[in-house]
Amino acid sequence: MNRGRPGAFALVPALVLGLAALAFVLGSDRSPSRFTLELAWAAPSSSRPFGSGDAGVDLLALAGHATFRALILATLVALFGFVVGTPLGAAAGLFRGRFEQLTLRVCDLVQSFPSFLLALAVLSAVRTPSRWHIGLVFCVTAWAPFARVAAAQARILSDAEFVAAARALGHGPAAIVLLHVIPNLLGPVFVQIGTSAAGVVLGETALGFVGLGPPDGVSLGALLEQGTLAMLRAPHVLTVGAVSVLLVSGSLQLASEGLRRSFHVE
Amino acid sequence: MKRAARSLASVLSSVLGRTSGALLTLVALATLVFLALRLLPGDPAALVLGEQASESERAHLRQRLGLDQPLVVQYLHFLAGLARLDLGDSLARPGTRAFAEVGRALGPTASLAGLSVALGSLLGISVAVLSVGPWLGARREWLHRATLAVAALPLLAFAPLATYVFAVRAAWVPLPGDPESGLAGLGFAAGLLALPLAAQVARIGRAALLDLGRAKFLDAARARGGSAFRVWVIHALPAASAPISVVIAAQLGALLGGAVVLEKLFERPGLGTLMLSAYAARDIPVLEASVVAAGLLFVAVQALAAALSAGIDPRGRGT
Repeated sequence: MNRGRPGAFALVPALVLGLAALAFVLGSDRSPSRFTLELAWAAPSSSRPFGSGDAGVDLLALAGHATFRALILATLVALFGFVVGTPLGAAAGLFRGRFEQLTLRVCDLVQSFPSFLLALAVLSAVRTPSRWHIGLVFCVTAWAPFARVAAAQARILSDAEFVAAARALGHGPAAIVLLHVIPNLLGPVFVQIGTSAAGVVLGETALGFVGLGPPDGVSLGALLEQGTLAMLRAPHVLTVGAVSVLLVSGSLQLASEGLRRSFHVE
Repeated sequence: MKRAARSLASVLSSVLGRTSGALLTLVALATLVFLALRLLPGDPAALVLGEQASESERAHLRQRLGLDQPLVVQYLHFLAGLARLDLGDSLARPGTRAFAEVGRALGPTASLAGLSVALGSLLGISVAVLSVGPWLGARREWLHRATLAVAALPLLAFAPLATYVFAVRAAWVPLPGDPESGLAGLGFAAGLLALPLAAQVARIGRAALLDLGRAKFLDAARARGGSAFRVWVIHALPAASAPISVVIAAQLGALLGGAVVLEKLFERPGLGTLMLSAYAARDIPVLEASVVAAGLLFVAVQALAAALSAGIDPRGRGT
């Protein structure tokens, strides 16, 4: 029985969606910032397969660009969390003591924050939140789950013989963390990348939906908001928005589930 | 009587133990709101009044908000205000205290969130018990799969779709924004908000109950001739209450975020609507007060859930 297989297949939807969004953004001349007022809220047609939304925006263009940007944001934030959280957690788990307690305590604090309140608090200081501001908000908390997982794994690894051997050979703490501990705890931490990315997509969508999205209105949340506003006269907008959100978050969740299986993480 | 007193004492002591952590979270959140508005580049007075406002108008507002004082003085003032639950008057509605606005918004949000937690816990626990007990036979597996599917569905995607189907097409529930939606509107919104919570509770509850399935005290209950209902509901469920209340507590942040989204979707009044309008109008006192109040609500309920689980699970009681 090959248990690595289902994991690899589960990555396919996210990859296909990402590549399709990339190809669309690069290859199509449909733009989400071109408005054809006379087509406002028009139903799907052959020239506009997803129909039109507010002020006659092409919903195919809006959904495509919003999906692309959501995936980019999610990937960047998850990678940031991975790059910052993993070494921190690994060091905490390896050296234990006060440092570990402090790290885990701050993780507790960061993870128990309702993320929406945090976003509101940080975004309240800027006039119109840009994509960078929104990414920043997610980065504030993104490292914590990675640090926690890495710390738990490093605690187990710190008793391993190869770590003792590296110490005996006179390697410094930084070398032990980077060369010996981190490579051996990557599995469970990789799983967290998928989980974090899916969380960022939903968080960004929620912020956009309540009006805290980027000012150009190209976000899944803004698309969904258009759909709910025009629920009575143009239900196709709502369908496009909801299906896009489902596809993006679903494919990322599937990917993280696949990673979980291939790395045998509970 | 003695047992009740002892379990009350254990609940109380664990409430006290968690209060310090909860307070720390709360002070950190309040400090963040305070600092975000004052340390990040940009003049809050210009944010409130707009770029066109004259310098004297801005200076007047800065003075009114205390922004012309040193940061440390402002912070002490802010903390003292928090302790007295008085962060000054709303800017958008002069003469109304910021915390009075929050108090008015708290009722609708508390009823929405409270009803969702009640519905979600009840539904989730019922599904968990059904999916381990003998009643459904082979269909238990289907129930489990359905639970996983619901747990993976984002509220943001299915809540608007469900609203379209049930409010617009079927007209079973009031349309969003209907001021006379009353109990039906509240019930529908709470039901939607309860679904993800129920799925998580069912998932964790099932795992916890399966884990307990081979425990000796359940064998003892079975040996005494206890029915399946008695074994699972009376004996196993209280022992599974710790992971269940932990998952409910862990979902509270999502629930609070979900409540904001649903208040927006259904155009209901509440804390989320207040925060968003205060954000849009840059009503700094109301924004600070509402974020802190939401944080307080969050940590209080979380501490309560943790304490309750310590009190309910008989194995956690000190002897």
